[in-house]
Amino acid sequence: MYYPFEAQVTPLVNVRRERILPVPGDVLVKLNERVEPTQVVAHANLPGDFRVLSVAPELSVSPTKIKRYMQVKVGDNVRRGQVIAKKRNRIVKSSMAGVLASIGSGRVLVETPPTPFELRAYINGVVTNVLQNRGVVIETTGAVIQGAWGTGGESFGVLKRLVKSPDKSLRARDIDPSCHGTIVIGGSEVNEAVLERAQELQIRGIVTGGLAPELIPLVKRSPIPIIATEGIGTIPMSDPVFQLLTTNDGREASISGQVRPRWGVVRPEIVITLPAESLPSGQVQPGTPLTTGARVRVVRAPYLGQVGTVMSLVDHPRHIETDARVRGAVIDLEQEEPVFVPLVNLEVLR
Amino acid sequence: MAQESSIGSILLADCGTVMTKVVLLDRVRGHYRFVARGETPTTTEYPWSDVTAGIRHASEQITEVTGRTFFDTAGDLLSSEHGGAGVLAATTSASPPLEIVIGGLVRDLSVASAERAAAGTYSQVKAIIASDGRGGLTEEERVHTIIKASPDVICIAGGLENGAERPVLELVETTALACSLIEERARPRLLYVGNSQLRQRVVDSVKGQVELRVADNVRPTLTEENLFNAQAELDEFYRQNKMAQLPGMDALEMWSPTSLTPTARAFSRMVQYLWHLGDSTKGVLGVDVGAANTTIAATFDGQSFLTVRGDLGIAFGGRQLLQEHDTQALARWIPEPMTEDEVLGTLLNKEIHPASIPQEPRELWLEQALAREAIYRTLEVAQPGWEPGAAHPYPHLMPFCDTIIVSGGVLVNAPRPGQTALMILDTLQPIGISTLVLDKYGLASALGSVAAVKPLAAVETLDSGGFVNLATVVSPVGRARPGDTVLRVKLTYDDGSAFSVEVQYGNIEVLPVLPGQQADLELRPARRFDAGLGPGRGGKRRISGGLAGLIIDARGRPLRLANEPEERQVQTRQWLWDVGG
Repeated sequence: MYYPFEAQVTPLVNVRRERILPVPGDVLVKLNERVEPTQVVAHANLPGDFRVLSVAPELSVSPTKIKRYMQVKVGDNVRRGQVIAKKRNRIVKSSMAGVLASIGSGRVLVETPPTPFELRAYINGVVTNVLQNRGVVIETTGAVIQGAWGTGGESFGVLKRLVKSPDKSLRARDIDPSCHGTIVIGGSEVNEAVLERAQELQIRGIVTGGLAPELIPLVKRSPIPIIATEGIGTIPMSDPVFQLLTTNDGREASISGQVRPRWGVVRPEIVITLPAESLPSGQVQPGTPLTTGARVRVVRAPYLGQVGTVMSLVDHPRHIETDARVRGAVIDLEQEEPVFVPLVNLEVLR
Repeated sequence: MAQESSIGSILLADCGTVMTKVVLLDRVRGHYRFVARGETPTTTEYPWSDVTAGIRHASEQITEVTGRTFFDTAGDLLSSEHGGAGVLAATTSASPPLEIVIGGLVRDLSVASAERAAAGTYSQVKAIIASDGRGGLTEEERVHTIIKASPDVICIAGGLENGAERPVLELVETTALACSLIEERARPRLLYVGNSQLRQRVVDSVKGQVELRVADNVRPTLTEENLFNAQAELDEFYRQNKMAQLPGMDALEMWSPTSLTPTARAFSRMVQYLWHLGDSTKGVLGVDVGAANTTIAATFDGQSFLTVRGDLGIAFGGRQLLQEHDTQALARWIPEPMTEDEVLGTLLNKEIHPASIPQEPRELWLEQALAREAIYRTLEVAQPGWEPGAAHPYPHLMPFCDTIIVSGGVLVNAPRPGQTALMILDTLQPIGISTLVLDKYGLASALGSVAAVKPLAAVETLDSGGFVNLATVVSPVGRARPGDTVLRVKLTYDDGSAFSVEVQYGNIEVLPVLPGQQADLELRPARRFDAGLGPGRGGKRRISGGLAGLIIDARGRPLRLANEPEERQVQTRQWLWDVGG
């Protein structure tokens, strides 16, 4: 019995997303309210910047005596360059505009006003739970595709497939002005020119099979969400992912490039809201053991990103190319011969 | 709670960051024996979000082998009266590490001691604020550093006993100011481990702004280090704030008669236990390389030292290493050329799929290189804190170690035993005569934990082969020219046959002594070479066989790698060949 790792590549499923503020704030929507991806559902004030001004040493006075030399009071607004403390010829100026927040231990703290933060719905759906001062839960039905790696924040746009097959590279010349505001779908890789062109035309997101490691510093600076569905390197997008994106070409989708590999795992994803009276039966239930017939993706070279079907679970450990003896399964990758893959190198597609 | 006398079979569980292992010990002809094990992905994340699910899943694999069930249909642990296990003892390293900011006066003194205290538990040092020249920050920069790091704990050290006062108090005031600017629910705790004369003034200084704990000064004098109290406090922080947050912990606590133990702490207990069984003039070491952490536990003169790098593991340590060093740090151990992009790409894919294993030799070499660096970098933190006493005749080398326990998937599951041995020899660089012991079933930490409820089970499981002998290693110390004979070795087997070899400086020699076999080892080192019996002194030893046999590592200490990449690749290929890797 082996409980495998899982990834969602699902044409139709219930989608539930918690939207939580980074600090307590106000929720702006009501229970059962229908929301759109760009709608602000909650907002909060993030702490502003601050400066610590060492008044006592600057004025050469005891920390307990600085109050008598203060030129402004706690709560007063101060301008940048304004004198806030003075003793004869010695002065201390504020290095920042803000509010004098506190005085203590010979120091003065100047804070800028808080920065407003707006939390958007991210997906089309209905508010099914309001978490007081913290956020909301939004639910919908639709297709979900989880990627392997991603960067950038969240966005929303129309899906636009730009390659004919999943093993093709996305090229800069594929991106024309009609791509403005869309989430573009590539194949096995992108290059630097693609990223530049995407920024020029204000693309809302890029989905690719693989991403070259040398591009990672560049994409991390990019404001556009980018998802590599299979991993790092030149890797054709797996067929089920490509097919599902192709099926939904032209539909609106939400994209999130956020990723956290452990301790509250977050995977990058594409969510395509679709109306559904009822959900299809026969889907693989999450958290179930690996069985013969399961659709799996290989997550390690030499078959990285390839999708196939479990033909048999092998009872006893077998040797692999490194000479290690491991438990595994025989997988039909629709090649000439089925291949033996270690169980830990498989993830089930749901 | 089960009484010791009534305990029958025992389930040992270790819930790691990525994999959960469960081992069944049972009484066979009146003695505890290892019976079976299961291993499965850890289940702290969706769709399970319950650490106990992984224990059930791994137990199902044991059920397949033994036919015994350990959980009822509701998922609760069956008692021994109902055919289940008498006891379940668990360890875990699945929680995130304790995030710590360290403040102190002198980088190489109080700050270094505080770092070693932090390394006594699963922790990650997010920032260091030192008052001396290097890394000296303005007060405002310190406040920004603390807020940006957003730690769980700020550990302030500094000031020898009866020493500096003002700079320590300034550091505490700055910390209190920074904490006052952090939202209350996210506010870190403050652990003061500095000059004990200042405790009351520290209390007065932070009153109401931050939750304060105090512990003994970690650096009471220039030459003295006292980490015990500070480590206990940080360990408690970890248990309360990290382990307790693991989903499913409530059920696990109910199942287990002992409190759930951090894996590294239990591993350290096992190392200490083995020291009591062995040659007390030498030390015992344990090294465990996991997916997210690397642990080195040592016992010398009965005193235990535990070092964990919570940021260095096989799945989640690669990028950290590349940030601290560069790809050369890894490439130096790889027997083939590998580009920076290939290294980065492979490490990132491993991070995305942390349980995956290399299927191609190139990826295996990279993973084993990462294991070497993880051990090497953890040793850098650990070794300065050891007090090995008489076991340490050569100050710049490793102390004499009787036994070295080797644990963690990348080490114990290496395709060939020689590869495991070489990873240990390249990094720990033991001297004299040592026995490498493989924690093949992942028992070490769990046995350390069960020793608290059933010491006999720990003893009997070890005696019955709970650990597997990997190799006996002889590493002569001394200087010679490459090719000079530095050691003559004669191995006499119990059937009377013998095997002699002259070992040249710079080489590795492997002699066959199979697992279960014993042999008499006679060593005759060259003048001024110490093979563990004293400089120039020879002698005989009875040794037990192992998976990798008897290894004579005459490459010299410290180990020197060739400067040129091509030359180095030839060198590492040769060494791999020598050990049968």
